Parts: sequence; C-alpha cells; structure tokens
Amino acid sequence: MTWSLMDKCCDRCWHSPEYPCRHYIRCRLNGPLCHEDPECRKKRENRLREIMYGKYGFKIKVPMASCTIAAGAREVYDAVIKEVKSRGIRVDVRKTGCMGMCYIDPWIELVKEGMPAAIYANVKPEDIPKIIKEYLEGDVSGAFALRYRTGKAKGEDKVPLLEELEPWKNQVRWVSRNCGIVDPESIEEYIALGGYRGLDRALNMKPEEVIEEIRKSGLRGRGGAGFPTWLKWKIAREQPGDVKYIIMNADEGDPGAFMNRLLAESDPHRVLEGMIIAAYAIGASKGFIFVRAEKPLMAERLAKAVEQARKYGLLGENILGRGFSFDVEVILSAGAFVCGEETALIAAIEGRTSPRQRPPYPATRGLWGKPTIINNVETLAHVATIMAEGWEKFVKYGTEKTKGTKMFCVTGSVKRTGAYEVPVGTTIEKLVMEIAGGPPEGRKVKAVQIGGPSGGCIPASLLSTPIDYETLQKAGAIMGSGGIVVIDDHSCMVDVAKFFTSFTVAESCGKCFPCRIGMKILYDTLEKITNGEGTEEDIEILEELGDVIRSSSLCALGGTAPNPVLSTLRYFKDEYLAHVRDKRCPAKVCTRLVEYWINPEKCTGCGTCAKNCPANAITGEPGKKYVIDPSKCIRCGRCYITCPVGAVEKR
Amino acid sequence: MVKVYVNDKPVEVGEGAHLLDAIIKAGYSVPTLCFFKEIYREASCRMCIVELANGRLVPACAYPVSEGLKIYTDTERVRRNRRVILELILAAHRMKCQSCPRKGGYCLLLDLAKEYGVEGIPVCAECPLHESECLLTKGIPCLGPITMAGCNSPCTREGTPCIGCRGPITRKDVLEEAAKLYLKYNIDLDELYSKMKLFWNNHPKLDYIYNVIKEVIKKNTKEGSLR
Amino acid sequence: MVPHAMHEVPPESITKVVSGIVTRYHGEKRHLMRMLQEIQAVYGYLPREALEELSRLTGIPLVDILTVATFYHQFKLERPGYYIILVCMGTACHLKGNLDNYEAMRSFLGLGKYEKTAKDGTVTIEKARCFGACSLAPVVMVVSRDGKERYLHGHVTLQEARRIVAKYRALALRKMRGEK
Repeated sequence: MTWSLMDKCCDRCWHSPEYPCRHYIRCRLNGPLCHEDPECRKKRENRLREIMYGKYGFKIKVPMASCTIAAGAREVYDAVIKEVKSRGIRVDVRKTGCMGMCYIDPWIELVKEGMPAAIYANVKPEDIPKIIKEYLEGDVSGAFALRYRTGKAKGEDKVPLLEELEPWKNQVRWVSRNCGIVDPESIEEYIALGGYRGLDRALNMKPEEVIEEIRKSGLRGRGGAGFPTWLKWKIAREQPGDVKYIIMNADEGDPGAFMNRLLAESDPHRVLEGMIIAAYAIGASKGFIFVRAEKPLMAERLAKAVEQARKYGLLGENILGRGFSFDVEVILSAGAFVCGEETALIAAIEGRTSPRQRPPYPATRGLWGKPTIINNVETLAHVATIMAEGWEKFVKYGTEKTKGTKMFCVTGSVKRTGAYEVPVGTTIEKLVMEIAGGPPEGRKVKAVQIGGPSGGCIPASLLSTPIDYETLQKAGAIMGSGGIVVIDDHSCMVDVAKFFTSFTVAESCGKCFPCRIGMKILYDTLEKITNGEGTEEDIEILEELGDVIRSSSLCALGGTAPNPVLSTLRYFKDEYLAHVRDKRCPAKVCTRLVEYWINPEKCTGCGTCAKNCPANAITGEPGKKYVIDPSKCIRCGRCYITCPVGAVEKR
Repeated sequence: MVKVYVNDKPVEVGEGAHLLDAIIKAGYSVPTLCFFKEIYREASCRMCIVELANGRLVPACAYPVSEGLKIYTDTERVRRNRRVILELILAAHRMKCQSCPRKGGYCLLLDLAKEYGVEGIPVCAECPLHESECLLTKGIPCLGPITMAGCNSPCTREGTPCIGCRGPITRKDVLEEAAKLYLKYNIDLDELYSKMKLFWNNHPKLDYIYNVIKEVIKKNTKEGSLR
Repeated sequence: MVPHAMHEVPPESITKVVSGIVTRYHGEKRHLMRMLQEIQAVYGYLPREALEELSRLTGIPLVDILTVATFYHQFKLERPGYYIILVCMGTACHLKGNLDNYEAMRSFLGLGKYEKTAKDGTVTIEKARCFGACSLAPVVMVVSRDGKERYLHGHVTLQEARRIVAKYRALALRKMRGEK
C-alpha cells in the first residue's frame, strides 16, 4: 500500500484516534514536529509531490460528479484507462470533482511535471488517444485552457490560461477553490491543499472565540434567509443543557440550484470540516447530514468523507486530543421540498411530517426538543474556509451588509451554464452576461428568476441590480440558495408563474389553509388565464390572494410561494392583460392561445396528427400534406406532441 | 409576569403564555378554528392572526408573549386576511348544511362568514329544523338550500318555507347538493321555479340556477341512483 | 387496488423481511422513514401488507405510517414498472419543453388520465424533482425498479422522448421474460 500523508512517518509517531496527537493536522504538511529527521521530512515532501503530479510525474484527472457523469464522464474515464493500459503508459488516473463550468462537460485535465496543466473540453471517448499522445509529445495546442504556462510546451502561447477566460476571471473561488482539483474521495488530497487547518485553529481557541471570529467575518447563512451565522450559534450555545445537535441541510431542493451538490460532491471534506467547527462552537456532540434522496452521489461522497474523518480521528471521541467529541450520521431524505424548511427537516428526522409554527426557533428547541443548529452546505464550507484563512481575508469581498462570496448556478437561456462563485454585490448583468455568456444567438434576455420557486422574476431592465439579500428583496425576488434561471423572449411569463406555482402546490405540506387551498386556487386561476378563460377580475384575485398567502402562511414555503406570481404581475402585467383581454399569448407558449399550423415543407403525410386530433380538425390523405382547420381546432396541442417529425408549428 | 400591549392597552400575563391569553385577558377576542387548548396548538387555520408593530402577522394561539410586545387584533389588514382565508375555507368546504348537526346556531363558520361579510352559505345553516323537522322532508318546496344565509331564517323558524328574499347562491356545488335534496324529497321543480321567480326574477343567473338543478335531477333520475 | 402486489409478493417473505428491518431499528418511530426506505429497497415500492406488518410489529399506528408514506415523494404505494422513467420538472428543463416530452411519452403509451404505468408493467412514467443536471436540460432519468440501474439522458427532444420509451419498454420485456 502506498504511504499516505495521513500515516505515521516512522515509529516515533504515536497518533491514533484512541490516543490523538494535538498536532496531527499541522504535522501532515509540516512534519515531523515531535522529532527531527530529514528522512521523515523527505517522505512527506515526496508524497506531496506525488499528489501534485502523480506517482510517475504524470497525472490524468477525470471529473466524476453528477453533471459530468450525466454528460458521459464514466465512458471517458474507461477510455482513459483502456488507452493507458494498452500503451503501457505510467500515469496516475484520478477522479476529481466538478469545477462548475458545466458547458464544457465532460472535461479532463492532464498534468505532467514540467508541462503546463492542460484542460480539454467536451471530450469524447474516441478523442482520448489523440489527447494523450499529443500531450506526451509536449503539445498542448488542442487544449481548452491551461492552469499555468511553463515555457516548455508547444502551442502554449495560443491556448488561454483558465484565469484569462471570461467565465473564470470574474470569479472569486473562495469556497470552491478545490472543486475540480482534488479527488473528493481522498482526505489526503484535501489535507495536502491545506484542509482541516481551520478545524485545527478552531480547536486551539475557545468556542466563544470561534463564534467571535465568525461574527467578525459577518457571515450570513447561505441557504436563503441570510441570518447571521454567529448569532444563531450564540443562541444555541447559551441554551442550558448538554445535548445539542447540528444538522447540515443538504436538502437542496430548488430546481435549477446545484451549488450544494457541487460542493458536496467535489470537496466534501470542506463542508464536513465546517460542520465539525460549528459543532465545537455550539457544544453539539451529534450531527446529522440530511441529504436529498434525488442526489444519491452527494450522499455517497459525504458518507465516505465522514468515514475517512472518523478513521483518522477527526470525528469521534476526544478529537485531536482537545476533549471535544462529535460524530455524524448521514440521513437520506425521502423527497419533499418542504424539508428544506428547518422545522420540516427536523420533523423528517424525527419520523414525522410537516413544519411547525416558530417561535420557538430550533436554536432553542429543535430536534427532539434540544437546541439545534441547522446550517446550509455552503455556509459550512465558508466556516471552514474562514477559520483556515482568517476573517480579514473574507471581508475583503462583498458589500456593506453582506461580506464574502456566494455561489450561484446560472441555467436556462445562457451560453455557459454553470456554477460560479462571485463576491456578493456583483451585478446580475455581470453574472449572466459576462460570466455565463448571455443568451444564445438570436435570443434576448426577458427576465431572470432568482431564488427558485420561492423567488421572483426580475426583468431585463433591472439587470444592473447588485446581488445582495436586501437589494433583491426590494426588487421582488429573494437570494434563496442562489439559483438563477435566465428566461428569454421565447418564454411566457404567465406560464413561468404557473410552472412555479404548480411546483409549490405539489410540495405544499397541507397543514395551513392559505397555502394548501390558496395556492391551489392561485394555480387554477393561472390555468384559467393560460387557457384563455381569464378575466381582469382574475388578475385582481391573483394580487389579493397572493398577498394573503404571503403574509399568513405558517412557514416560509407558503410565505414565499406567491412570489413568482406577484413579481411577474409587477413587471409583466402587459402579458397577463394580453392573455385575458386579447386571449393571446405573446410568447406563443400557452397551448390554448397558440395557433397550430402544419409546415408543408416538413409534413411527410403520415397522418398521425389527424388520427390523434380529438376535434377532427385535420384533413389530408396518407402520402399527401395534412392541413389543420383553425375554425375546428380546439388547441389541445396533441398534434404538436404526436407528430413524429416535428412538422406542427406554433404561431 | 410579562407586560404586552393589546390594541395599545397594557396587560400582564404569565411568562409562558401566548398572545391569545393576553388578548382574552385584555377583554378582546380573535376568531379561532383549529385551536383546542392542550390538544391542538399548531396554528393551522391562521384565523387567529394578529398584527405586530412591525407589520408581521402572527397566530395568537401559538405565538409566545415577550416583554413590551405590541399586538393589534383588528387592523384592516388583519380583517382582510381573515376574510380571504374564510373564503378559502368555504371554497374547499363540502356544504351539506341541511343535514349538518351544527345547523341552527352552532356553526362557527357561519358566524365568521357573517362577521367578515363572506357569502355562499345557505340558509339551511341557520335554520333550527333538524332532520325530520326539515320542511323538505315533508315535501314542502323550501328555497333554504339555495338562498344566502344572514337573516337567521325567521320564516322556517315559524314553520313556513324560505322564500329566497336574501338572494340566491350561485356556487355550483351548493346548487348541486340542493338539487340532490330536492330530488330525494320529491320536490316539484316547476313549483320551485315559480317560487324562485318571486324575488329572483331579475337576477341574471336565475336560468343558470334552474338549469344546474334540472341537470342534476335529470342525471340522477335516469340512473335511478338517488331515490 | 394493488393486484400486482398480491401476485408478486409471497406473504411469508413479508413477515421475514419486515421483522428483520424492525429488529435492526428497534422498531423506534424516529427511524420510521429509514425503515420505510429499507422496505422499499427490497420490493421497489411499499406493499400494503408490509405496512400493516410494520404497524403490527412496531406498534406505530398504521395511520402514522401512511402519513409518512404518502407525504414523501420517494415512497411508492403501487408497484412500478420494470423501468421508471423520471422526467425532470426543474426550471431549466421546463423552459426547454420537458412538459411536452412528458405528455408525448404518456400519449405514446396510451396512458389514461390517472394512469402512470403501462398495462404490461414494463415502464412507469413520472414527473421528478430536479436532478441538478441543468446544463443538459431537458433531462430524463431512467431507473430500474430494483434500483440497480440508472441512466441519465440529456438534451431530450420530442422524438428522442418517444425513442426512450420504446427502448426501455423493449428492454423491460426482454428482462421480464428472462426473469420468469
């Protein structure tokens, strides 16, 4: 077995989880600390080099995260293994996580000592032999980007540096620094890049001092509410009693948000480290990681990290000999968006359902009646990083009210879908147009949906709004967990509102009247409008009902559920009016308000449409062109979805 | 003891008390539907909401008191919200008032509907004639099941059928329930229609109401299911 | 309501399976969600008989068990088809037309308004919550009911959607014949 940084350098080292050495973490990189021995020191240095460049000075990294695997990373990995085996190449092939630039998935990275580390984008298994061959010949001209130049490779002046690229240079990779670089299943690599320094430093301080450091950093919860993290911890710390819990909320449920998944799959030890620090600060001895059932790889990676941390004494009894004991259990949720809400999450762990009225807040009375802190994955990643780097570095970024950086997932109508980390206060425009590249050719940005189904739509005219909790709230949206969906001129805002409303209706727990009944009526009214049966009175109903649901619901799910409707009414009233007054959908999306037409150039005369038409509105003969009679057409859209060649068009 | 202000009136309650205790002690009241002391304090119905000084609406039955808290039980916003919530409840409520054990003065929904000006509940809810006392069971055409409540049903109280003077209910589900009753007790549809014409002659939905009832009767007569 | 279950699940096995799970979790109500997850891992869904047995062995009222089982989306109370086709209903996928894909797939199988599974038990079509693979929108994930297989399809067009249904239906038929 290869000697790892985590192992003892020689027999003079006596560390084990049962008899922990206080200096264990620092010793991993700077050791040996308890004795002088150039051999031991060399051993560590060599191992560090091996981690950087691989056993043989040559390493190929294949990112294996949910998004890259979906794009075909497993096949690429297999192709790499096949190629190196068949050519007998001595190389270290390792998995990494995803760096967030989903539009280049699957990508791989080749790094050889002396050569620039080269990233290749949108790789197919059949490209592998060529990529490896060229790289070994010292040629990087086919690369997408380089991490650095060495002056020794062919074509390296023509290939841009990663940090020169538009999507990269505007980012500040504070918590995502390791994503796409380390093997997420290796605690050793995390430590090699300085991991667990934060925990080491925290355990050298008193818990109150840790809370003070987080207070100075101004860290606000990154899960959506933006509550000051230090304050929540302080309240829990000051509660009487010995039993306290900490829960990592990994139930990222917002459709279109995958920052937490990315962090947990690519750098799980960072978030775990943050959790251990948080537990120390509040005095918790047991923690739970609550992961969404729909993201199984996330749960796997976190569970593995927990196992490894336990193995080396970073979890368990008397961690690093500081008298602090803490352990973690990973729990898979069974699928409910409302579980992102604190009290519902607690209910799920307890084997019940539904949120409850707050106060009392979980920090005073939570899981099984004990003080419980629930922190988001990204918040905990920040905690670990702040403790390692110091609060002074954190406050360099951000705004007056909100310091630091935040990860955002930009999806929808953009050229470069991905997860990006930027300082808080960055404008929406910069994120969407510069970093994510703006909409594809021929499309224009109409609105930007921020905060998922709890958030609101901000029109294109307000793109210069800086992203911060208060500024977004004023504009009618919320920060939420950071999911940003770009909506272009091919989408109907009423349909978008209806979509989010249908989501909340399905996810409503059903406990309180305003949300359970009100949201359904909101949805039914929107359906009426998109079916062409709406009136102006219906729009008034939406406004009033939306406000009542927002202000009287029991939990934040109901409290934010009407936001998509209210914000689209605020900025896109004209679209609603077109639907009710003119019975027309300007974006040509709403099935019943759209005219269906068979494009004679595409029609193959198969007659499938006519067979499926419930109104007998389509005439034609097999082999000849078919035609829809608009006077008979009931606009059900069946022809559109059943045509095998896509000849039915909307106009 | 903790001092709070209910509608600007100071009142003192015990430490672990909730806003509802303070409100009652101060001599005010808020509607509650789901609250049942010591059994259910989950604040599901949201009818007991009151307004805090910062504008937030919180449920009185489950929100704990704290020193100096100011609460307002009857602001315009609170009333508007309660009215809409009541409309939501009634929209989802299966109105079978003619056979409901709470008819004739024991229906809290009806009391609240009257207080907050929400319509849609039929006169049957107010009428004190239960089961075999109901005029319909005697074959008498009574418009109670399709007339708006609010008069306290003086006519049926005296044994005479409701004549619909407060105006019709136009909610389809209420009309359909009523139609099933009329069918069950063999009430003649034409006689009913002539009674409807008395006060509803100029009502735009008169024919709609008649047709809904007729359709349900026709449908269930053909299948012979309701007799 | 659960004809499949009656034929597919021998009653003796239910007692054995459920009691094994109950023993491991000491029948504690706080582990209810986990016990249900384990039962579903065995059968691919929650047979009514298993829930009744669970209630009998743990003393947890059946109504409480059903509250949890019907609340969380992951739990299925009906036996799914061999393959479950999950159509992502995330925002990005919706904007790229996944709802049309969903309707096209259902129409292709001739499913009635409240039906989710093909009559020959080969495939079930369901709406699913976001998988977080938004860069590949619109996304369709296909999983086998025993949980062993998982395939993710991205950039799914209307034609591709129909092809997916046909493919997994054929695959299911072959496997089901092999099963017998």
